[in-house]
Amino acid sequence: MAVPLGAFIAVSAVLFFIGTAGVLVRRNAVVILMSVELMLNATNLALVAFSRRFASIDERGSVFVVFIFVVAAAEVAVGLAIILSAYRNRPTVDVDEIRQMKG
Amino acid sequence: MDILGAAFFALLTIGTIGAGVGVVLANRITTSALLMAFTFLNVAGMFVLLGAETVAMFQVLIYVGAITVLILYGVMFTPQSPRPYGLFFQTQKYWAALFVVPIAIFVALVAFEFRDSGAASGSGGDLVPLATSIFGDFAFPFEVASVLLLAAMVGAIVLVKRDEE
Repeated sequence: MAVPLGAFIAVSAVLFFIGTAGVLVRRNAVVILMSVELMLNATNLALVAFSRRFASIDERGSVFVVFIFVVAAAEVAVGLAIILSAYRNRPTVDVDEIRQMKG
Repeated sequence: MDILGAAFFALLTIGTIGAGVGVVLANRITTSALLMAFTFLNVAGMFVLLGAETVAMFQVLIYVGAITVLILYGVMFTPQSPRPYGLFFQTQKYWAALFVVPIAIFVALVAFEFRDSGAASGSGGDLVPLATSIFGDFAFPFEVASVLLLAAMVGAIVLVKRDEE
């Protein structure tokens, strides 16, 4: 493998940090959902990199990535449905203004 | 080969991180969504670089295809800005043609060149070990994942269904 494992892990870490920053900084619910997707992608990259480096015959890491795909698809579907139904109650996607669930 | 791999890795890194920062910083949410798709494409390129072609294909199908379209639908159904988002795709048709036509010609040339070259390489890459793992050791989690998808689908339908009195 031409590129060292650490390089892939570094890219994964930076991408995960970007996603975390997006979740913390942005107030638009759809952008927060996108940032969560970035974090999941960073995890996938790390899993595949470790899998290819340490277990070239067995594909455990890739199997976990496939399950993360499934969970990400379910998360986006339910997340967007929640955003849409909240938007129907009050036409905003700003998470600071959506207060129906606050005690 | 070493140099080529490193160069591809550098390009993909720049694409991934640049587009990722763009997702967080972009003002217009449509820009964020398209940059997110570009990030996913670059990560798929990294999977190819790692030799995990099957995962890269799933990445393109599920993330770049399905999830990006789903999020664009979410953007469309929750209009925020006074600027009409629909015009984003319609005011740039000449630029779009400039990019699309050469790609279409290239694809047609490649398809014509390889019209009778037989099957692609039959080695299977990482597909066979992946399938062996999923349907062997991970058969039960695989079934649980299908139940999760079904539950998510039903949940999404129930959440967005309008009450009909």
